[in-house]
Formats: sequence, structure tokens, C-alpha cells
Amino acid sequence: MKMFQTLGAAVLQAMERLGRAALFLYEILGNSWALVTRFYLVIQQVYAVGVFTLPIVLVSGLFVGMVLGLQGYNTLVKFGAAQSLGLLVALSLLRELGPVVTALLFAGRAGSALTAEIGLMKATEQLAGMEMMAVNPVMRVIAPRFLAGVISMPLLAAMFSAVGILGGHLVGVGLLGVDSGAFWSQMQNGVDFRDDVMNGVIKSVVFGVVVTWIAVYEGYDAAPNAEGVSRATNHTVVYSSLAVLGLDFIMTALMLGDV
Amino acid sequence: MENERAPASVKFPSSDCLVEIRGVSFKYNTRTILDNLTLGIPRGKVTAIMGGSGCGKTSLLNLIGGRLRPSRGQVLVDGLNVPDLSIKELYQLRKRMGMLFQHGALLTDLSAFENVAFPIREHARLPEAVLRNLVLMKLETVGLRGARDLMPWELSGGMARRVALARAIVLEPMMILYDEPFTGLDPISMGVIARLIRELNQVLGITSVVVSHDVNETALISDYAYLLGDGRILGQGTPAELQQSTSEHVRQFMDGLPDGPVPYTYPAKNYLEDLFGGDGR
Repeated sequence: MKMFQTLGAAVLQAMERLGRAALFLYEILGNSWALVTRFYLVIQQVYAVGVFTLPIVLVSGLFVGMVLGLQGYNTLVKFGAAQSLGLLVALSLLRELGPVVTALLFAGRAGSALTAEIGLMKATEQLAGMEMMAVNPVMRVIAPRFLAGVISMPLLAAMFSAVGILGGHLVGVGLLGVDSGAFWSQMQNGVDFRDDVMNGVIKSVVFGVVVTWIAVYEGYDAAPNAEGVSRATNHTVVYSSLAVLGLDFIMTALMLGDV
Repeated sequence: MENERAPASVKFPSSDCLVEIRGVSFKYNTRTILDNLTLGIPRGKVTAIMGGSGCGKTSLLNLIGGRLRPSRGQVLVDGLNVPDLSIKELYQLRKRMGMLFQHGALLTDLSAFENVAFPIREHARLPEAVLRNLVLMKLETVGLRGARDLMPWELSGGMARRVALARAIVLEPMMILYDEPFTGLDPISMGVIARLIRELNQVLGITSVVVSHDVNETALISDYAYLLGDGRILGQGTPAELQQSTSEHVRQFMDGLPDGPVPYTYPAKNYLEDLFGGDGR
């Protein structure tokens, strides 16, 4: 009986948090319109959130592409289809690994930083100070960061995929002797813009919304002390990662529904 | 001088008060912080709200600033009942208020200059040259014109609070709320802040509400003081009147006595029983 009570209380608490997070998202979206005339606030955050995440995304993309080249070649060569390596690398990156790995990296690098920054602003009364200066912190602090995350994610995912394909080419063509022309032409023939590229873009936009939403909400909702900020940062990485992987499955199932 | 058991009452006529707290109760979860509190903050004066930690001083300040809502009663600021205001009206009112937070609450990614310029940039479209002069004048008022380019982490505690004070007065408010302005400061910085509070009040005619438990500094600069405890007013009067009070509550607070109406010992069961018949905790 006690177990059911505990379980029930935990579910109710989780639903309450989810409800508050949903209202918070609604408030963010409502305040985002005000940024049309102050878009420089978003640009500043795109720099802080996106540009600083770029190095880790590029390096990771390169290595993921190189590993794909190695693994793909070793599998394809058994079936005499090594020339399709370019297609395999491109489809893997565009459909899955680009959006998913970028979102996971984004959650670890930018998401945790966003949560810690907003949480510390709360703990040091900077957000309260803004409120008392008649400045809405959701409009001034939260909405620009949220929009920056949503804008940055697809761009980062695109760069991850591009560098990953170069990594695959480096290994496949440069080291393993796959024909360069076959590598690119198979890719060109096999990759569909709507089914592969756009589906990947849709995924990365959804991941951008979800990861940044979790990051800003956790920061804004953090207990205003060191432990609270630390806990919120941890929640951001864990919840974002789980949400990305779960949503990826759902979206993939929906996108492949007519196959 | 108010007797400690006498009901709290407004000592000033409404017309003289910028802030009127009428029968306000405030609860945090189930704990009552303020209980049917009534008091007035006179215009153009420095009013101190004193009391021990957790007595509801800061909650009262947040009720005046509209950051908290009372469970009962009215919080009138310049004739407007703060809990009834819409967000837009509340923000309009806040433009006429300044608040100095306990640790300054400076925006850490902006320099001292930009921190002071922040409210102007948010609320007015002034030419850059005018804005610059305005900010420098406010920084000069607090003696930190030369520190304009320093970042918040390069400022001492006292300097950070002075920059925050410059920011609080940059929109020329009718009232400034000071939340524990002396906490954690060395004696020199404490004296500087106290002098600034007094000077801003005298020169600009700003109504000041100082929440503090620092008896000596607060008594020096305030025209009138309230002593809060148990969610109600335990004493009120001029600092001199409070110093002469015979109320046990007031005496314990003003003299810093470790034991009295506020007990030294946290309620517990019998000491010997606890030692020899304990349940293992």
C-alpha cells in the first residue's frame, strides 16, 4: 500500500512539474514576440549557445563519421557493396546520428550551461532585481536563450552531418580505397531531400525546442542555492538525453510509417 | 511608544503615507509570517523595519514591491493596492520604485556602467551621449564614476552595493526599498552606505524603507522605526524612543540580549530524559 502511495505521489509531482513547465513554455512563446524589435538579444545568445558549442560538435562529427566509415566498410565489403559507403554514411548521419548526437552534445555543453547560468542568476537575485526594475526576466533572459537554442540546434546538426560525411570520406576513400566518384554519386542518388534531409531537420528542430525548454525551465525553477543549481544542471542533462532518445524513436516511427 | 501587547496601528495620517499596510496577513506554506499587520511608511522619510531573522521583514518588502501577494489585507503604494494591479500596472509602479538587494544583484555579464544604464536602456530611448552623462552623474553620486568599466566580480561588496544603489536611483524613483543594506560590509563601507541612504533621502526627497537587523547603523539614519516579531509590530517610534523602551521584546533586540522573549534554547523535551532515555536519535 505504501508503495502505491509513494508511486502515486511521485506521478502527481511529475505531472505538476510538467504542467508548470508547459505554462512556462507558453509564457516564453508569448514573450518571444517582443524580441522581434530586439533581435540582437537573440543573436547574442546564438553566439553564446551555438558558436561555443560548435568545436565539440565539429570534432565529434568528424570522429563519428570516421567510425561510420570504418564500420560501414567492414560490413558492406562482405556483400561486395563497399561502393555504397557514401550512401550509408550520409543516411546514418542525416536521419539519425546528426540530430541525435548533436542534441546530446548540445544538452551536455549548452543545456547545462544555460541551466547553471539562469539558476545562478536566480540565486544571486539578478532575476528578482530585473523584476523590480520593471523588466520581465522571461522576455529579457529566458526567451532569447530559448530562441537561440531552437535556431542553433538545426545549424549545429547540419554541420555535424557535413563534417561526419567528410570524416567518412577520409576513412573510406583516403584509407580503405573506396572510389571517390562512387562514394559521392551513390550518396547523390540515394539521399532524398524530403525523406532524409528534411526529416533530419525536423528532428533537430524538435530536439532544439525540447532540450532548450528543459534547460531554461530547470534553471528558472532551481532552488536558489548551490545545491539547487547543481541538481538542476544534472536534471537538464539527464532529462534532455532521455527526451531526445525517446522522441527520436517516436519521430522515426512516424516518419517511416508509410514504408 | 507602542506597548508590546497593544494592537498595531497607523501612526501617520493616510495623506502623509506613501505606503500603507492595512491588516495584511502573509503565510509561507502553512507558517504565518505576517499576522494582521497594519503600518504606514511616511513620505520623504527614512523608515526602518527591524527585527530578528525570519520575522518577515523581507517578506514585507516583497509585498510592497508586489513580488509576493498577501493572503489578506491591502498593500497601498501611492494610493494603489498592489495585489490588485495587473502585471502592466505593477511594472508601471515599479518604474517609480527602486530596490537595493542584500548583495546588490548586479547583472554579472555587464560592467558597472552598463548595470546602471540597464534600466534606462530597457525603458527609455535616450541618445547615447545623454545616457552616458546620466549614468556618470549617478555613479558620481555614489563616488564610483572612476569604476565605471569594472565588472561586478572586480568590485568589493560595498562598491557593488553602491553601484546597485546608483542603478536603483537612475530612473529617479519616488521610493527606494533597501533589503539588509549593511549585511556583510566592513565598517567603512557600512558608513558609506548609511550616509548615501540619508543623503539620497535629504537631497532627492526619496522615501526610503530600510529593512535591517543592524540596530546601530539603522538607528542613525532612520526617522522612524518599526520592530517586527511573531508577524506583528512589537514596537515602533523614533530610534530614540525605541532606545528608551521598557518593552522586553524591544530591549532584547536593541541590546542584543541572547535570552529573553525570543528564547536562547530551541524547544526540546527534558534534557535528562533525552540523554538517558533517548530513542537512539
